[in-house]
Amino acid sequence: MADGALAGLRVIELGEQVSAPYCAKLFADFDADVIKIERPGAGDVTRSWGPFPQDEPHPEKSGLFFFLNTNKRGITLDVRAPRGRDIFLDLLRSADVLIENQRPKDMRAWGLDYGAIAQVNPGLVMVSITPFGQTGPYSDWHAYDLNAYHLSGCGHRYCGRPGEAPLEQGTFSAEYFGAVAGASWGLAAAYGRELAGGGQQIDVSCAEVIAAVFIGAQNIGGYAQDGTYNRRTGVGMPLGAPATILPCKDGHVWMLALEPQQWVGLAAVMGNPDWMQLEQFTDMFVRAQNADAMYPLIEQWTAEHGKLEIMERCQDAGCPTTAVLSVQEAAEHPHLQQRGYVVDVEDDLLGTVRDLGAPFRLPECPGGPSRPAPSLGEHNAEVFGELGLSANDLAALAREGVI
Amino acid sequence: MAKTLPLKNIRVANFGWVWAGPVAGQTLAFLGAEVYKIESRARIDINRTLPPFAEGVRDPNRSLQNHAGWAGNGSVTLNLRKPEARSLALQLVAMCDVVIENFGPGAMGDLQLGYEELRRVKPDLVMLSMPAAGLNGPLRDVRTYGMSLTSLTGLDSITGYAGGPPVPVENAFSDPYNGVLGAFAILAALRYRNRTGKGQHIDFSQQEAVMQMVAPAYMDYALNGRVAGPIGNQHPRHAAAPHGVFPCAGDDRWISIAVLTDDEWQGLVAAMGSPAWARAPEFADAASRVRNIDALHERVAAWTADQDDYELAQRLQQHGVAAAPVLHVGDLLNDPHYRARGTFIEVTHPLGFRETIYGAYVKTSRTEADVRPGPAIGQDNDHVFRELLGLPEDRYRQLIEEQVIY
Repeated sequence: MADGALAGLRVIELGEQVSAPYCAKLFADFDADVIKIERPGAGDVTRSWGPFPQDEPHPEKSGLFFFLNTNKRGITLDVRAPRGRDIFLDLLRSADVLIENQRPKDMRAWGLDYGAIAQVNPGLVMVSITPFGQTGPYSDWHAYDLNAYHLSGCGHRYCGRPGEAPLEQGTFSAEYFGAVAGASWGLAAAYGRELAGGGQQIDVSCAEVIAAVFIGAQNIGGYAQDGTYNRRTGVGMPLGAPATILPCKDGHVWMLALEPQQWVGLAAVMGNPDWMQLEQFTDMFVRAQNADAMYPLIEQWTAEHGKLEIMERCQDAGCPTTAVLSVQEAAEHPHLQQRGYVVDVEDDLLGTVRDLGAPFRLPECPGGPSRPAPSLGEHNAEVFGELGLSANDLAALAREGVI
Repeated sequence: MAKTLPLKNIRVANFGWVWAGPVAGQTLAFLGAEVYKIESRARIDINRTLPPFAEGVRDPNRSLQNHAGWAGNGSVTLNLRKPEARSLALQLVAMCDVVIENFGPGAMGDLQLGYEELRRVKPDLVMLSMPAAGLNGPLRDVRTYGMSLTSLTGLDSITGYAGGPPVPVENAFSDPYNGVLGAFAILAALRYRNRTGKGQHIDFSQQEAVMQMVAPAYMDYALNGRVAGPIGNQHPRHAAAPHGVFPCAGDDRWISIAVLTDDEWQGLVAAMGSPAWARAPEFADAASRVRNIDALHERVAAWTADQDDYELAQRLQQHGVAAAPVLHVGDLLNDPHYRARGTFIEVTHPLGFRETIYGAYVKTSRTEADVRPGPAIGQDNDHVFRELLGLPEDRYRQLIEEQVIY
């Protein structure tokens, strides 16, 4: 296989859960040499999160761990032990990028803060992705994805019904946002390292990324100027209509008909019922004011039709309504099948895994998962061998619990 | 020694519009790239027309949210329906490393500015196209809005209260997400170009990029054929309980609490004053707590309901419990953490008014970002057309008059 976009780049990952592993996976997808370090014994906690085939827990059969760690080499190393720390620093000497999501106070306690690491390799780009970042009063708080997400204001502003709890999106949204921010800024720092005059620490706060690029972008200027702000409404778009998720015969559709020609298209698909000509429904703004009267009328129609049929007919009529696809419907959709988005990756224990493919396509140097996630310590001999450690050394380190 | 940003020598022509494309350009700009958004007064970008406006004056140069999302991008105006404008765009692209666009597939081709045309003037060009569902396939021309795009990934089907219908996310988070990831795609392709001399046309399907976020639920389908529904704030792999958002004292105040380990559970029990119910067998171990999560959440909610969210979060932190207040938009500007990190900054727009935008959303220890506010429409016309492209003064004036540079 020809070299990928990031061939020749060496990345060390000291990561767990989702943020640092997904960030490092983006590098691994495009052919960087990514070495993932796990704690001896249990390894990355996602090994215990599953999903497992037939729901039978097994540290080498976690689906989420698999997704997040394809194409990587895996070693075990206790960086808290003095000998483990030395080996870790040795690994960093030949690395371009370190991606980690340990708690800042732990890294300081282990003597692995950026200052210590820069002494070993001043050219290294250290990407630190944590819920709240390296500085600020919450930086040493204990937090998970959920805490970071809700500190961004995202749920309170945009997701959930009024009076009920603000919602996250059913996934690790904050850690994903932190991961892609760490990847783009980290790769930029590595790309321009000569110009910049050396390596540096890239400090990503998952909460801050969402608070800035999503919530801040559309809300903070108005709040700073006018002192007013909005909250979640439970409706897709409160100021224009129709623009929300509606039930249909076999699930839900994301109903959208804002512009005049979109509304005309929807009317045609619905058989031009008389009510759509009424004055209180003439444009998207008055329709929003009369949404309580309008949505039930549309629902009477959607209740009689399937989501894929509604989507197809609306799209043909110039109305941007889409089906709310289930996870299965999305994965099996002919569009993604034709594009080859889902790919087969062979794994010793899981067999052929239908994995999600590359997040974007580089036609000259395609990426995506091709090798399975490493088993715990799978590449110990290989990687430590590259550092000049002998089989005897490794046996001794294993006895001491360092690897 | 003077600071040099890592992407200093990269020049970008950004045909991106609304949100996703501009954020890709902004990210490269914060890292030192020279980015010109190409737009026109003949067809004002909808993102410039959205309120609120600076000092309440409705004007395409005063949309406050627009400036936050576009800051860092410069702006040149070209009315691309006119042939001379297309020729100027090609001259600019020939001097760029990167082109960004997020129209539907074929739109750039319709302007005769498709990849094949652009690579003729710049053979090693890196071009990022980020349409909704990619450059080919049956859904190639699907119409979506940013906020409904997620319906095609499965993500909307798992967003909502547990056991209930899907609840819409009321804005297009996929736009900035894909903008940030799009910058990574560009950098990967630039690195490949530097090694091989080859540019390429990146096919960035927003659907495929966002669908990676569904992996925790998707893998259960891939391995077990199981199809997930909405899960509220529960742990996406059901590996934690309590794991949710609980009411606090005040109007619409909440706290997030996530308990994964037994140590954290013991910390929470201690913080609650070791109530008798917490010793019940149905909460004795992590698996039992997850199984009985509804009953557990009711108990925890009853305990949090009359407490202050910030104070309670601090107290739980002292007990080693992952907890944080749930902020609303009004909290963000005043929260001590965001203040300390300079997340939001007040700047002077090129037209003179003050406004608050977000600054570098990632912090860099060696090369602090230079955040340029704005952009005002056409603010870089003089520089680009006279200095970069070397147009004679009278020709430049004429093209402005003819509304080519417009």
